[in-house]
Amino acid sequence: MNRLALFALFLAAALPPGPAHASDLDLEPSDDGVEIHGFVSQGFIKSTGNNYLARSKRGSFEFNEVGINFTKDLGERLRTGVQLFARDLGAMGNYNARFDWFYLSYRFADWLGIRAGRTKLPFGLYNESADVDAARVPILLPQAVYPTINRDILLAQTGLELYGYIAMGPAGGLEYRLYGGTISVDPPQVAPPLRLVDFDVPYMVGGRLLWETPLPGLRVGGSLQSLRFDTSYGLTPGTPPVFMGLAKIGLPFVLWLGSFEYVYGRFSLAGEYGRWRANLESNVPALLPPNKTVNERYYGMATVQVTQWLSTGAYYSGFFPKVEDRKGRDAYQHDFAGTLRFDLNRHWLLKLEGHFIHGTADLSPALNDDKPLNQLQKNWWLFLAKTTAYF
Amino acid sequence: MANRQNISTTQPTRRTAAAFLLGAWLPGRELLAAPPFLLVVNPKNPVQQMEQSAVAQAFLKKTMAWRHGGSIRPVDLGADSQVRRRFTEQVLGRNLVAVKSYWQQMIFSGRALPPPELETDAEVVQYVLRHVGAIGYVSAGTDLRGARAVEIR
Repeated sequence: MNRLALFALFLAAALPPGPAHASDLDLEPSDDGVEIHGFVSQGFIKSTGNNYLARSKRGSFEFNEVGINFTKDLGERLRTGVQLFARDLGAMGNYNARFDWFYLSYRFADWLGIRAGRTKLPFGLYNESADVDAARVPILLPQAVYPTINRDILLAQTGLELYGYIAMGPAGGLEYRLYGGTISVDPPQVAPPLRLVDFDVPYMVGGRLLWETPLPGLRVGGSLQSLRFDTSYGLTPGTPPVFMGLAKIGLPFVLWLGSFEYVYGRFSLAGEYGRWRANLESNVPALLPPNKTVNERYYGMATVQVTQWLSTGAYYSGFFPKVEDRKGRDAYQHDFAGTLRFDLNRHWLLKLEGHFIHGTADLSPALNDDKPLNQLQKNWWLFLAKTTAYF
Repeated sequence: MANRQNISTTQPTRRTAAAFLLGAWLPGRELLAAPPFLLVVNPKNPVQQMEQSAVAQAFLKKTMAWRHGGSIRPVDLGADSQVRRRFTEQVLGRNLVAVKSYWQQMIFSGRALPPPELETDAEVVQYVLRHVGAIGYVSAGTDLRGARAVEIR
């Protein structure tokens, strides 16, 4: 990935600047320099009953993010950019800086552009801006639809993207995005006598269509995404030969999401509903039988800008790991959240947030003394505070 | 006496709170107090009038090309400008905080950069005169120095 980013930057630097092409395309040369933007966040997370995202029962400051990006217009249709990002959230991130995105983008017309590189995934309304605390009211986006623990899988892909906007006059406008490539994720951890032989993400493809309706402020749309994990396991040398050869596991996913958002003056309403399907394919059905899982995720959210410096928001989100099984505390998680956002000045904000959570489906046994989810506390609270500086 | 004192102190507080909430709940209340504006383009630009939605799409960089050819180069006034507030709420159909949030999403997802922000009407006029594809807005009554006002339908 680092080589790809360097290649993208090298390519951007090697390309002739905008003015060389401007006369051919009847375009004006760009007189903008390199744009630099960044953010730094520090948060605190505290829960009752169960640990969530971090060792939150005792209270944790392991909840921070830092990012910086550089963008340069190379003429009016060509742009390049790169963003470095690091975070620490419990056991996740640990300040390992990585390229969040990097790309070359060329816009042929309003209705057709192409990006190459590592680009954020347009899945739902807010996936692309999931890291951008300043761009929203809540600290945690509804975790049913935007799970922070899956950030590395859901945030960006490396490949190509087609995008465009079609103005339709009185019928509004259509924004589309189509992408295909792969993602970079760490291979699964396995313990002896199993050993990981191969791990691959052969593809990720998807798209999003958003319709800006004739009613000002209302947009509706849908997102679809498909990806696949292929994993091969063997046995460590010296293990009794209970199984010869390789165990090949395929895990194709199909994710879809329907979305709406309505912004009216100081008010906004948003809601999304989706189902994510995973099919486990196995060449060793006796050891690992194939199965299909469909989960259900949704939320409804409202925000109000009370004054120039105070905004407030609330949401309810629901998550069911198996859509056909909703019994037992580990079969659901209902999250009721409320947030206060204080914009202290143009570059600095503070947020306070409280959650009442019913159910344990989205909890991690590893963070909770390896207890089964059905033995964790059914009703629990989560409190967060976060401050972000950005420019 | 004590009761009267209580009434006299709580009533204004309630009134203030009610006014505060009403102000917060009625979109565009401050809009009435903000000065009117003119939409301006370069004199070489043949456009005479634009749909409001087309202006919004241009300033949010959803459309980036003029129908007659060439790129659209929107320019904003500073975030503290009352004219910008009026333009944003009346033409873009959302308030400044929502627009700021929109650009934060664009910037940090790598999709687009906001238009340049200039502090004065004169600077906007100068920018529009310098760039054939530019489009900006200024206070009504500003000396346009050859820049052309465009009607918003």
